[in-house]
Amino acid sequence: MHDLQRLPPIDFSGPAQFEVRDLHFSYPNGQAALRGIDLSIAAGDRIALVGQNGSGKSTLIRHLNGLLPVQQGELIYQGEPLVGEHLRRARLEIGVLFQDPDDQLFCSTLYDDVCFGLVNQGMALETVEPLVRQALASVGLEGLIYKPSHHLSYGQKKRAALACLLAMRPQVLILDEPTANLDPGQEKILVELLRQYSGTLICITHDLLFAFELCQRAVVLDHGQIHHDYTMAELVAHPPSMREHGLDFSFRLAGLANQDLPPLQACTLLPEPPADTGTASHSKGTAVLALGNYRFSYPDGTQALQGVDFVLHAGESVAIVGENGAGKTTLLSCLMGIQSGTGEHSLEGANLSRKQRQLLWRKVGMVFQDPADQLFCASCAEEVAFGPRQLGLPAEEVERRVDQALQRVRLSGYHHRVPLHLSGGERKRLAIATVLSMQPELLILDEPTAGLDPQGEELLLEILKELPQTRILVSHDPFLVAELTQRTLVMHRGRVLEDYSTADFLADQSQKSLNLLALGYRQQRSREILELQHQHQHSHAHYHLHDHPHRHGELVHSHPHEHQHDHPHAYTHTHGADSSEHCHPPEVGYHEHSHPGHEEEEHRHVHPEDESSDG
Amino acid sequence: MSETQAMQLPLIYLLLAVFLCGTLWWLALWTLKTASHRHQEGQQERDWSVPLIDSAAGGDSLFHRWDVRFKLVALLGFAFLVVATRSPWSALLAMLLGLLAVRLARLPFARSLRRLLAMSGFLAMFLLIMPLTAVPHPGDFLLTFSGIDFLRFNLRGLSLALAIVGKACAVALLMEPLLATASLPRTVEGLTRLGVPEKVGQMILLAHRYIFVFLEEARRMATGMQVRGFQRRTSMQTLRVMGNYLGMLFVRSFERTHRVYDAMQARGYQGRFPAPAYFSVGKSDWLHTACWLLLGLLLLCFDRFWLGN
Repeated sequence: MHDLQRLPPIDFSGPAQFEVRDLHFSYPNGQAALRGIDLSIAAGDRIALVGQNGSGKSTLIRHLNGLLPVQQGELIYQGEPLVGEHLRRARLEIGVLFQDPDDQLFCSTLYDDVCFGLVNQGMALETVEPLVRQALASVGLEGLIYKPSHHLSYGQKKRAALACLLAMRPQVLILDEPTANLDPGQEKILVELLRQYSGTLICITHDLLFAFELCQRAVVLDHGQIHHDYTMAELVAHPPSMREHGLDFSFRLAGLANQDLPPLQACTLLPEPPADTGTASHSKGTAVLALGNYRFSYPDGTQALQGVDFVLHAGESVAIVGENGAGKTTLLSCLMGIQSGTGEHSLEGANLSRKQRQLLWRKVGMVFQDPADQLFCASCAEEVAFGPRQLGLPAEEVERRVDQALQRVRLSGYHHRVPLHLSGGERKRLAIATVLSMQPELLILDEPTAGLDPQGEELLLEILKELPQTRILVSHDPFLVAELTQRTLVMHRGRVLEDYSTADFLADQSQKSLNLLALGYRQQRSREILELQHQHQHSHAHYHLHDHPHRHGELVHSHPHEHQHDHPHAYTHTHGADSSEHCHPPEVGYHEHSHPGHEEEEHRHVHPEDESSDG
Repeated sequence: MSETQAMQLPLIYLLLAVFLCGTLWWLALWTLKTASHRHQEGQQERDWSVPLIDSAAGGDSLFHRWDVRFKLVALLGFAFLVVATRSPWSALLAMLLGLLAVRLARLPFARSLRRLLAMSGFLAMFLLIMPLTAVPHPGDFLLTFSGIDFLRFNLRGLSLALAIVGKACAVALLMEPLLATASLPRTVEGLTRLGVPEKVGQMILLAHRYIFVFLEEARRMATGMQVRGFQRRTSMQTLRVMGNYLGMLFVRSFERTHRVYDAMQARGYQGRFPAPAYFSVGKSDWLHTACWLLLGLLLLCFDRFWLGN
């Protein structure tokens, strides 16, 4: 599949906007990040820059914006090398949306932040106000124009960061993981904004559904080299190639692929939830943890939980979903005993006092969304041993648990590695190991797959499925909810709105209006990708029934007739439930296509009048 | 008067004084908490905003209308003159003037109270330690309490401590009208115009923006340690863990600094923040400045000549 000589799938009618030739880059520690990159980008191109963590994507975009100097090779922007005065000008035309919006909003108010780039472009302070207002209005934040950015929610910050760039009317927009940590509602808004953007779009993302929605071209990087440069459709249609680069997310479509292809609109990409071991609060098992009429208010008076009733039974796996600010994280904090509210809080039937709640860490383990919040030791072994040591276990037992936990998360042999130097996926698995080594009875997972590449995601899913613990999962990802849980709690404004089986939740239409899960365009795109992956061409002999003028010796006439020939056809196939063999639709299909020169060929077929005269 | 004078009081007096101070402190805290609760009562979405220095910048008072540069000169100058006084009575007068300034600036008193409470622990140490440690001079008045005769409270030490506490409170009260009545960038720009290096001004602004981001990161990491059973103890293990924690916090802060600088460069940063030039000087600015400086001078004269310190 590697065809590096192939021309990129773009229309180069004019000069390239970016021309990268034989670009090499090594970091001061000697690590080669880019090795001979050749890339042409045309104005108006929409490119997804994909690859595993550490493949060189971020290093490449930092070159495109001139944040890193060219060590070897050539980087041309608008016909000139990206240095000196041209670089300063280019930075004002190339907008970069960084992954963490807090890095990008460094002024005291949104107005100042948006104003910053405009003034650097040389505009007078007196003239920028309408542009600032317009940019903020385009992202729906005009009402917050004089607010400091730390007053905003994460999604609002992301949009504000985009407004800072859009105000500068950039010719190129570079996005680094734009959907990371966004809830579905905010993601929808971001997608709409980017759809309307008409300049060159370069997007680094692990989220191929998002990339498929917005980009036409896919550039695959691996170990600092470009391995593929083709259309987005070609990338997603070829799972082996994606798998080779750790990008294959077809496992997310597996539930659908094993079914006969239903009509597009009726399709659902969600797999069947695991076998129901007792759904909702009507479960029969032992109650591990329970909250009764539980309320919690923050010191500022905000009522974060209002009369929550929740019973978790042994062996259950429960998803908690809800929009940002619904109270999910507060609920987890209370369950863990980090926060303490009023109401009943019991463990295995026994009511917990305030002091006992603080000891819940002995039985309940929690994996945070950002593993960096959980990792602070100098080596992986120390990190995993931290919990067991706090439990007061003897050294041999600690060592045994460290080995066991690292093995469980596929990090055997990582004992002496520095957590800070691990990849995103490895750090996430290490964070899970730090909790598993304490052998908790209940495991709480907060957005476990956030920020992982598809390969890391698949591996993590496999590990999580193997864990025997009772689980609580907080996620916006419908696939994860369906794969890992049997019961779902829908939270809204500090209350439990619904408590039912995951199957019922996924079928429930009302939750869609709350934007609880990342459905929307993703469902449609998943379906399209699945079709692309199942489309291929066969060439075999088949019959045609058609009507056109043809010749029998001297006689030329026209009538419907049938004849056999072979040529390739595109098929979308299905798989049998227990077979890797595939089959094509059994029904006869009629289609239009040309047969150049067929009219001139000698036709030998039986005519109705011949048959009657014979008779 | 060549010798010290001493007087013994029943222990109950001391206990009553301690109880009274504690009650007042607790009452102030409770008032603040209640006010905060009342402010947010019934809200379902948590207010994630952090305490802002310049949260009342949008108000309207003579302090709001005052040119920032003149305000800085006048109030900082006044504060220096207050610090130069020696008597607790002058300090008390300065405190009253500080309260008057808060009132004139139409700022909520709760904010000033919070500021004072934040300092109270530190200041209480002065009130406790200085009377006990002041070396007796001839003419000093020493108090002892029955039952704890070995502790001698020097009233000169107490007076000294009260003067320090009073001056600290007066300056803290003045900071509210100084910093809360104009946006921070404007105040910093005013400082720059007065000769403070521009880089220092930018550092103040960035520090104000990111200190809360770092605090939030620190809080999340502390929670991460807490859920794995970490408890602070007096042990080497705790020291080691805290070392790792602070180290990691430093690494994260360092990485963020780099990312922020990259983001600034990516939007054309050339070493200068765009500075809005919205300064205008009127007669009232000169007048207010002169008044405050004169008031400061009068206070100093009162302290030095009237009270004879």
